[in-house]
Amino acid sequence: MPGPPDLRLQAVVPPEASSQAGAAPGGMRLYSQATRAGATRPGRHQQFVGLLTIAPALILILSLILYPVAYSIWLSLLEKHSFFPQQRFIGLENYVYLWGDEEFWTSLWLGVVYSFWTILFQILLGVAAALILNESFVGRGLVRGIVLFPYMIPTIVAVILWKWLLNDTYGVVNYWLLALGIVRDPISWLGTDEIMLSTIVMSIWQFFPFVLLSILARLQTIPEELYEAAKVDGASALRRFTHVTLPQIRGILFVVILLRSIWMFTKFDTVWLMGEGAGAGRYIRTLPVYAYMRTLTYYQAGLGAALAVIMFAILIVSTVLYFGLFREEADIG
Amino acid sequence: MRRGAGIAFLAIVLTWATWAWGGEKKEVRIWHTETEPQSVAAFQQIINDFEKLHADITVKQEALAWGDLEAKLTAALAAGAPPDASHGQAVTCASFYAKGLLRDQEDIAAAIGRDNIWEAVRRQCLHDGKYYGIPHSAATSLLIYRKDVFRQKGLKPPETWDEFIKVAEAMMERDASGRVTRYGLSLPGVGLFINIAVGELTKANGGRLFDLKTGRPTFTEKQVVEVLDFYKKLSATVLPPGWLGHGYLDTFANLATGKAAMLYQGYGRGTGYIEKYSPKEMADPEHFGVMVKPHGPSGKETAAQIDAEPWMIFKNARHPEEAAAFLKFFFKEENYIKYLHTVPIHLLPTLKSVRVNPAYQANETVRKWKEWQDMQYRYFETAQAKPTLIVEWDDLRLPFGLEILGSGIVPDMVTDAVKGMPSAQAAAKAQARAEELITKLGHKRW
Repeated sequence: MPGPPDLRLQAVVPPEASSQAGAAPGGMRLYSQATRAGATRPGRHQQFVGLLTIAPALILILSLILYPVAYSIWLSLLEKHSFFPQQRFIGLENYVYLWGDEEFWTSLWLGVVYSFWTILFQILLGVAAALILNESFVGRGLVRGIVLFPYMIPTIVAVILWKWLLNDTYGVVNYWLLALGIVRDPISWLGTDEIMLSTIVMSIWQFFPFVLLSILARLQTIPEELYEAAKVDGASALRRFTHVTLPQIRGILFVVILLRSIWMFTKFDTVWLMGEGAGAGRYIRTLPVYAYMRTLTYYQAGLGAALAVIMFAILIVSTVLYFGLFREEADIG
Repeated sequence: MRRGAGIAFLAIVLTWATWAWGGEKKEVRIWHTETEPQSVAAFQQIINDFEKLHADITVKQEALAWGDLEAKLTAALAAGAPPDASHGQAVTCASFYAKGLLRDQEDIAAAIGRDNIWEAVRRQCLHDGKYYGIPHSAATSLLIYRKDVFRQKGLKPPETWDEFIKVAEAMMERDASGRVTRYGLSLPGVGLFINIAVGELTKANGGRLFDLKTGRPTFTEKQVVEVLDFYKKLSATVLPPGWLGHGYLDTFANLATGKAAMLYQGYGRGTGYIEKYSPKEMADPEHFGVMVKPHGPSGKETAAQIDAEPWMIFKNARHPEEAAAFLKFFFKEENYIKYLHTVPIHLLPTLKSVRVNPAYQANETVRKWKEWQDMQYRYFETAQAKPTLIVEWDDLRLPFGLEILGSGIVPDMVTDAVKGMPSAQAAAKAQARAEELITKLGHKRW
């Protein structure tokens, strides 16, 4: 069965660009190549005006993004107390220290575990829920509103709610598990052995609506004719999903996975509020929590900044790899 | 004509702006840790009365959770925007004093009477003979127990840690299937509270956490290792399995609802929780009592933790002088008593004159829970109570207490031990981390 035409991309390519580029069912790349080929070089005045118009945006980017990044890199080269105005340049010493720091490697590992499982299940649950909510049934509007609830409530409220539910001495979850005879003794959901699992479950619950919303929006733009054609060809529901739905949503999935990965890897508030970094919280002391602790509880701003820079570098490298591995989806997305 | 009108308009705007700027009230920001609604309301009443007398000053209070205070304070300091005055732990005050961040409070001490400040809490933030912090109130940690169960089982007050475990085991309750329905003890697993407990247990075991001469940590000394052994035993016998995930309020919920028989880190404010959450027929001192904490195998006498945050005033804040004026007003007896009465069994007076003031004594809750107050006075008067992480008062001269408190090294040491690491090994690991931190902070003297 031939793949479905990409209606969205055809729609954004102007007819004249399509003709210049050989009328291929193309994408933005062909369009931009064509535009470059056909255009004349702008004059100096035009160049100046162009620069002038993008200057505010450039200044904003420089001051709000590049400066903090550059300052963090600079801080990471210092031995600096977090609030006492005393600092000493030590080059890469903070990075060398972290290389041999057991806490750093543990935090990195915990961060990877937390991110991987939360992202995986957010995507699975989000896509599944979006598929269901894309179908027609009575009360669909209400259900669509309700499922967004976890994403809309403040993190602190969500965490308090979950801690209350999961408490091992008076929590509702244990109450029902015991009442139904599923367990003999209450489970210490917030204890050292289960706190990672609890935080992952809580995070999936809190953030899957974002995936749901994004996928649902894309699902609603898939032309019904594609499904009808597939049905005429005798495609089962599973084949319709794999051959029609999945190719249509892969662009948005690419973006959603990228965003969620960045957000979960740097997630601080949920993880911190669940454990506050000590006691059982030590078992969910991910990299952002460790960076926070180094900066604002150990008061070592240099080491905290070095951790932030390492996180930034990990994300940059991962993003580049991700784009390389999924080049096609990146173009669509 | 139009030009003239424009100039006149500009002049009006400038005049108004100058007046508005000049006439702006001075806003004094106060952070404190008394978050209970009635305390916030009483504090606001004091603020309102103060503002009536000082038309040019407005005071904004912010009540912060105890465990969050240090991190928020240091974040504010790092941002260059500290509050004008704030509560803080004694080690925090010592650290900030060492860094030259605090305004001295000699004028406040003079206004309330230097000799009127209770000796037991004077040294909370007294450096080089000057007050840099005067405690807003005084309290100590308490060993709270279910008196009815204790009597019913015919138990005797434990004097040593081993006896304590036996008593706690005896107070546990199981159902027909052998499932625990009441644990012997409840402890908070939050970092701050583990720091507090390790400090007071070490003192109760005749030990120390730092060498006073060099500042070197002494976590590998026998007395500290025995503290870790004690934690291991408690965890294996009488604590709920998930105790490391329990917050401070969880422990009170456990006690008040009958899920635990004792709290080692209870406080006077617990009477409020008991009155609120326990069954009515039980919410009294006949069911919930306090007893002297036991001592460790290497110790001879007990110890408790002083909970008496000194007020700190930041030199580089916007309005330190106005903050000082407010604190003088706060400590005026008629105002101060209103504040103390909001949590009567926890907020004991810092001022000696208030303690004997009939207006202070005329309080129903104080009379009802007198046993709880008396136990705190006992710890204070026998000098068995010290601030968080402080075993001897001179420990406050060490300038890195705040960093050790915040770092999580001590709670990690306990967690390691409880999770199965041999106590000596957990102590050695924490020792190495603490030494490294102190060295990096530039305070190494060994």
